[in-house]
Amino acid sequence: MSTVSSEIISQIEQLNREYISALDSLDMTAWLNCFNKKGQYNFISEENHRRNLPIAFMLDDCYKRLQDRVTQVVDIQADSTEHYQTRHFTQLMSVEALDNGQYQAEFNYSIYYTRRDSNQTQILCVGRYMDVIEIAENAVNFIKRKAVTDTNVLPRYIAYPV
Amino acid sequence: MAHTTSQDPLLTWPKKYNEIPKAVFEMEELWPKELETIFYGEEWHPIVHRAEIPNPGDYKAAELGEMPIFAVHGEDGVIRVFQNTCTHRGTSLITESSGNKKELECPYHRWLFNLQGDLVGCPNSRDYSPSFDKKDFGLAKLRVEEFCGLFFVTMSDKTPPLKEYLGESFYEPLSRVLGGDGRLKLIGYQKVMYDCNWKAYCDNDGYHAPLLHKAFALLNWQGGKGVQNVSENGHLSFESELKIPDDITALEDGSILDFKGTETSTGSIVQMQFPVTVYSKHMDMLNIRYAFPKGPKGIEVHYAYFSHEDDDEEMVAHRIRQSSNLLGPCGLISMEDASVFSRIDKGNKTPGNAIFQKGVEDEHVLSFTVKQNDESGNLPRWEHYRKRMGFERSES
Repeated sequence: MSTVSSEIISQIEQLNREYISALDSLDMTAWLNCFNKKGQYNFISEENHRRNLPIAFMLDDCYKRLQDRVTQVVDIQADSTEHYQTRHFTQLMSVEALDNGQYQAEFNYSIYYTRRDSNQTQILCVGRYMDVIEIAENAVNFIKRKAVTDTNVLPRYIAYPV
Repeated sequence: MAHTTSQDPLLTWPKKYNEIPKAVFEMEELWPKELETIFYGEEWHPIVHRAEIPNPGDYKAAELGEMPIFAVHGEDGVIRVFQNTCTHRGTSLITESSGNKKELECPYHRWLFNLQGDLVGCPNSRDYSPSFDKKDFGLAKLRVEEFCGLFFVTMSDKTPPLKEYLGESFYEPLSRVLGGDGRLKLIGYQKVMYDCNWKAYCDNDGYHAPLLHKAFALLNWQGGKGVQNVSENGHLSFESELKIPDDITALEDGSILDFKGTETSTGSIVQMQFPVTVYSKHMDMLNIRYAFPKGPKGIEVHYAYFSHEDDDEEMVAHRIRQSSNLLGPCGLISMEDASVFSRIDKGNKTPGNAIFQKGVEDEHVLSFTVKQNDESGNLPRWEHYRKRMGFERSES
């Protein structure tokens, strides 16, 4: 990380905190605000990622899809989902400068979930975020957040982005 | 297994055909009998499509009941399915879910098998027992049949030939799920564990579709005309016209629901093969759902998605984004099913029977005439299950 200033690293970590805080409070508008108009989100198994198999669990490859992800969570599936509370834990592993104010970052993540019916806590999934972040004058956003999960067999259906 | 004889039945079945004892989802004692009579009995189980292991040496691990098995693409181009166990002392040979190997070596005593399953090397064999003959120690091979590139196994010699077992009303639509000619390419998997008994997972019906799936209503997605075909041995095949509105106002990006179609791809197909496999073709998604019960509780489902060899790049990209977002454990359409599986399981820890209604014209007659949105199409499956398990119907 030697080529990237501590100020930049701090901005990237702040963006990541906003992201996981949005999900842990299920504030989908705040989640969407972590991306800019070039934003893409992908949640994929490590197995598919490693084997170059493109099928993902969630594949939002344009900003409109990100907006529709919000619609899906807030409007479409709200009454059929058994709600669960998540808690995301992340650790920044690397940051590299790209061109045009863009940075490539990688975070490890582990996500716990607590079911409302049983109030028991289990691991939802573990993996890494492979990110491209754009830092402009007044904005720090994800252009790309790819959540690659080592948990190739999910322990349950997943209703919200991770 | 003395306790499973007819003198001492584990369960007595209700008299009426539309009543299913809730205990059938909950009694752990049923599992050994289900293994014996269903998973190791006279049924075919799909294990792998050629597109998943397209090259010599490619393998895929799977389970049949509780038995570890694997499919491997031989040097001779033949796909075989073996028990995943060294014929010496039983060590498992394959430890990854998929991969490529030139030969199969057991690390314990370095017994070596070729991809055709023959034992080709075993160190210090001159000190073996007098009756030892290499030829007797090839890998244990399962009976296999293929349909449109999909390979099925059965543990029984008595299982009828595959096409006869599936019946034309099932295998004809299945051929269309498999791209018409089986010339598919794997585009990936979604794997998930569902928290329910395997029978709850495959008890989904035609009645729920427009009611549970809020997505259908929100997208103003009207069900087209359709049929359900049911067979005496418990297979169920839904086929319906697709009616997707031109303008989907609920979504910013309606292209996710585009139906581009191909010659063999007219309607929407969902098929449930006894005991646990689902196949589907919604819009441009070609999907096999391999399912592996983990004992009496929990079922691991592997959604495998495919494109067709003749697809252009645009079609492949469309299949990828549609499959990734609409089906599976996070999908816009099918996540709701997943939610119901675990709720069925919780709710059935109560006494009495689950009672099917929609489409039931006479509770005392098993009917094979089923309309598109009836739930009675599941009843022949339950009857097949009852017979396999040897449960008697009660007199009153």
